[in-house]
Amino acid sequence: MKTTSAGTIESMDCLVTVTEGASGNGIAVTITGSSATRFGTAMKKTVLATVKELQYTGDISIAVQDNGALDLVLAARTKAAILRFLGGVA
Amino acid sequence: MITNALGRKLPEEIPGYGKVRPYEGWNARKPEEHRDGPRIRATFNDRTDKVVPDIKAAIKASGLQSGMVISFHHHLRNGDFVVNAVLDACAEMGIRDLILFPTALFGVHKHLIQHIKSGVITKIWGSVNGPIGQLVSEGGMEYPAILRSHGGRPRAVTSGDVHIDVAFIASPTADRYGNLSGVGSRSSCGSLGYAHTDALYADVVVALTDNLQPYPIASIAIPQIHVDIVVPLESIGDPKGIVSGTTQVTRDPLRLLIANHAAKLIEASPYFKDGISFQTGAGGISLAVAKFVRDAMRERKIKGSFGLGGITGFFVDMLKEGLFERLMDVQSFDLDAVRSIAENPNHIEISADWYANPWNAGCAVNMLDVVVLGATEIDRNFNVNVNTEATGALLHGIGGHQDTASGAKLTVITQPLLRGRIPCVVDDVYSVTTPGEVVDALVTEYGVTINPRRTDLMEVAREAGNVPLISMEELVEKAHNLTGPMDPVEVEDRIIGVIEWRDGTVLDVVRQLKI
Amino acid sequence: MRLRRTKLYLPGNNPNMLLRGHLFEPDGVILDLEDAVALSEKDTARILIQQVLKRGEFGNCEVTVRINGMDTDLWRKDIEAVVPFGVHGVRVPKVEDPREMQLLDEALSEIEDKAGIAQGSTLVFCLLETALGIHRAYDIAISTKRIAAICPGGEDLTADLHTSRSDSGVELVGPRRMVVLAAHAAGVCALDTVFSRIADEEGLRKETEFVKQLGFEGKSVIHPNQIPIIHSVFTPTPKEIDTAKRIVAAAAEAARRGLGAVQVDGKMVDRPVVKRAAFTLQRAGITEEEVQG
Repeated sequence: MKTTSAGTIESMDCLVTVTEGASGNGIAVTITGSSATRFGTAMKKTVLATVKELQYTGDISIAVQDNGALDLVLAARTKAAILRFLGGVA
Repeated sequence: MITNALGRKLPEEIPGYGKVRPYEGWNARKPEEHRDGPRIRATFNDRTDKVVPDIKAAIKASGLQSGMVISFHHHLRNGDFVVNAVLDACAEMGIRDLILFPTALFGVHKHLIQHIKSGVITKIWGSVNGPIGQLVSEGGMEYPAILRSHGGRPRAVTSGDVHIDVAFIASPTADRYGNLSGVGSRSSCGSLGYAHTDALYADVVVALTDNLQPYPIASIAIPQIHVDIVVPLESIGDPKGIVSGTTQVTRDPLRLLIANHAAKLIEASPYFKDGISFQTGAGGISLAVAKFVRDAMRERKIKGSFGLGGITGFFVDMLKEGLFERLMDVQSFDLDAVRSIAENPNHIEISADWYANPWNAGCAVNMLDVVVLGATEIDRNFNVNVNTEATGALLHGIGGHQDTASGAKLTVITQPLLRGRIPCVVDDVYSVTTPGEVVDALVTEYGVTINPRRTDLMEVAREAGNVPLISMEELVEKAHNLTGPMDPVEVEDRIIGVIEWRDGTVLDVVRQLKI
Repeated sequence: MRLRRTKLYLPGNNPNMLLRGHLFEPDGVILDLEDAVALSEKDTARILIQQVLKRGEFGNCEVTVRINGMDTDLWRKDIEAVVPFGVHGVRVPKVEDPREMQLLDEALSEIEDKAGIAQGSTLVFCLLETALGIHRAYDIAISTKRIAAICPGGEDLTADLHTSRSDSGVELVGPRRMVVLAAHAAGVCALDTVFSRIADEEGLRKETEFVKQLGFEGKSVIHPNQIPIIHSVFTPTPKEIDTAKRIVAAAAEAARRGLGAVQVDGKMVDRPVVKRAAFTLQRAGITEEEVQG
C-alpha cells in the first residue's frame, strides 16, 4: 500500500504519514500526541485545508503524530507528505 | 453555589471534604482557637527499648484501625520504600478505608494503585502525581483528593482540621529509644523538615530505619519524647532515588535566556543589596537564575543573609563562599546538601511549620526577599496554576508555591511561553493554585511581564534599561497568535480534587475528566 | 549600516530552531538548506522554511537562507522556494567563479520580477571555501551589486589547502587576510567562519578578538550561547564610546551651524571618521538622542 511521510517526532515537530485510503472513504484524519486533546479541532482543520489547497480529491488516510508542532509546521509537514505521495517534489 | 474572591464557583459542601470556606484574600482569614494536640503518653523506665521486629508488629502495636488517618513524609522522594511497604502490610492485615495523608507522593508510589482499587485507601489528603493523579482525574477514587501547600498542611494539623492517628516516619538513622536523624547512613536524606509536625501532633509515631545506632545518636532531628515505636528494616529506600548527585545548572539556551532576563529583574529591584535572601527551585530555569544572581553578587560584592528551600549543592557552595550567612533547609535535594547539613552549623534544619505555616508567630517565608517559581499556567490576572496539565488532569502538588509567593517581597515566575504547542499564558487558568495578588512578575523568552499592581517594580525595571519588558496583554495575544484556538477540556460534574489556600479556605476545585 | 556581528545557523528541517532562533537576538539568522539537511529531506525543508518565512517573525534579525551549491541541481528550486517569501538575502556555499554570481544575479532578478519584489533587493553572501574561491575573492566581491559580504570557509577550506585545523589557526590566517583585503577593496563586508568548539568559551573569545583585529565585522554562529560572547568582543570600550560620542556630537553641531568642517579637540575630523564613530555608537546600542541629551 502506498505510503509516504514527512517531518519528525522531535520537539515542536510532527510526523505526518499519508496512506492510500479505502475507496469511497474520502479523507480520514487521525491525530495523536501532546497537542491532540486541546488542539485536535484546529489541527484537523489545517490538515483538511492543506489537502484542499493541493486540490487532491482522492481517498487518503492522514495520520499525525504530534510533539508540539505549531500550525505552520503541521501545514508544512502535511503539504510535504502529500506532495511526496503524489510523486512530486516542491 | 458560592463564589470566592477569585470568581471561582464552589459548592457549599463537598462529599468527602465537608463544608467549604471560600477564599477571601491572601491574608484574610485569622484563627481564633488554640492549637490541637496529640494523645498524651506516660512512659517510665520499665520500657527502654521501643524496637519491634517488623512493620506488621508495629502496626499492631500502634493500634491502627480501619478508617484512620496515616501520614508519611516525602524526604526519600522517588527512592522511597516505606509508604508502599506499610500499605502492603495494612492490606495483608485486613485494614481498610485508610485516609492517606502524605506530604507528597512520587512515581514510585504508583504501587499504591492496587490498594486504592481494593479499598485499603479510600481518601488521599495530599498531592496526587503521575499515575495516581491520572487515576484520580479519571474518577478512580470515591472521594476528592485534598491539596494543601507545605505551609497549609502543618496549619491544618496544628489547628485540628486534620488529626493524625498514626504517623510513619522513615528515618535514615535512629536509636532504640526513638531519637531520629536524617543523616549518618547510606539512605541519608538530610533535613527531615516535613516530618516534624507529624511527629509532634500524631497520636502514635512509628519510626522506620535501616540504620539502628546505639543510644543516644548524634544530630537528633526528632527527639525520643515524640516517638512510640521503632522498626528496623533492611532498607528504607534506594539512595539513587533519594538524592541526586551534584545538581547541574542547565545549558539549554532557551532556559538560560529566560533565566538571564529574570536575573536582570532581580538585580534591578530594590532587594538586590547586602542582606538579600532568596529561594529558587532545584533545577531548570530556577537554578540558572541563582547562578546569574550569584555572578552579579560576586561582581557587585553583595553578601546575602540566607538561602531558603529546597537546598541544593549550589546554595551550599554559596554558603561556603560567604555569599550567604545561613541556609534554612526544609528539604535537602542532593548529596552536597546532605553533607553540609550534617557538618555545617550555619546550615539549619527547619520544619514545615517553621518554613511556611501562616498560623504561627512568624514563618521563614515571611523574611524572604526573592523567590523564583515555575507554573503550568498563568492568566491575565497573574493567577498561577501548578496543579493541572493542559489535558485537565490533576498531576502535580502545590509544594511551597503558595507560601513562598505570599511571603517573598518579590515573586518571580519563570516559564517558557510554549511547551510544544501548549501556552503557559492563558485568559483564565484551568485551576488556581496561587492568586495573582501575591505574584509579581512572569518571565518568558519574550521578556519580563510585571504585575501592574507593582508600579514600583515597573519603574525600576524601566530605569535599569536592560530589562526587556512586555505587557500581559501583549503576551496573551502573542500566545494566541502562536498557538491558535484551544478546544475546552471536557469534564463531568463530579469533583475529584479540592485546592486549599494556605489558610484552609478553598481556592478551586478540579472536576473529573470525561473519557 | 546593519550590524552583522553574529549570524546564527538554524538547521532548515528543525522547526524548534527555525522558530526560536531569533529570540537569542543574533544580528542575523541563516536558515540552512545545505549541510544541515539530508539530501532526502531537501523538499520538506524547503516547504518548512517557506512557512516560517511567511510567518515572518524574526525580530530585528537579517534573514538569509543558505542555499545548496551552484554545482548541484538544487539551488534553483531553493531560491524559487524562498525568495518570494521575504528574505534579506541568500548565502551561497563554495563560490569560486564570478560568472556563477552573475548567473545567480539573473535568476534572482527573474524571481524578484515575478514576485513583485524590488529588483536587486535580494542580497548575496558568498562562502569562499576553496583555494580558488579565496584567490578570486575580489572578483567575486565585485561581480554583482547584490554581493553584501564574503566569508572564508573553515573545514572545507582547510581540506582544500591540504592541511588540517590547528589550535593556533595559522593555516587560515592567510586566507582570512585575503578575504578582509578583498572585501574592503570591493566595499563589501568581511564575515568570519564558525567556531565549532561550543563548550570552549575562552577559545571563542580569543578567536573573535583576533578576527576583529584583522578587520572582520562578525562571525557565523552555531549555538546561541556563543552570541553574547561575540557581541561583547565587538562592543566598544567606554573610552571608544566616549570618543565616538564627542565626534558625533561635534558633527551634529557643525551641521546645525551650517559649517562644512567638523572639529574635535581642535583637530579636523574627516567624514569617514564621523561615519565610523556613528557605527561605533550603533554597536554600543546608543542612539542619537542619547548623544545629544
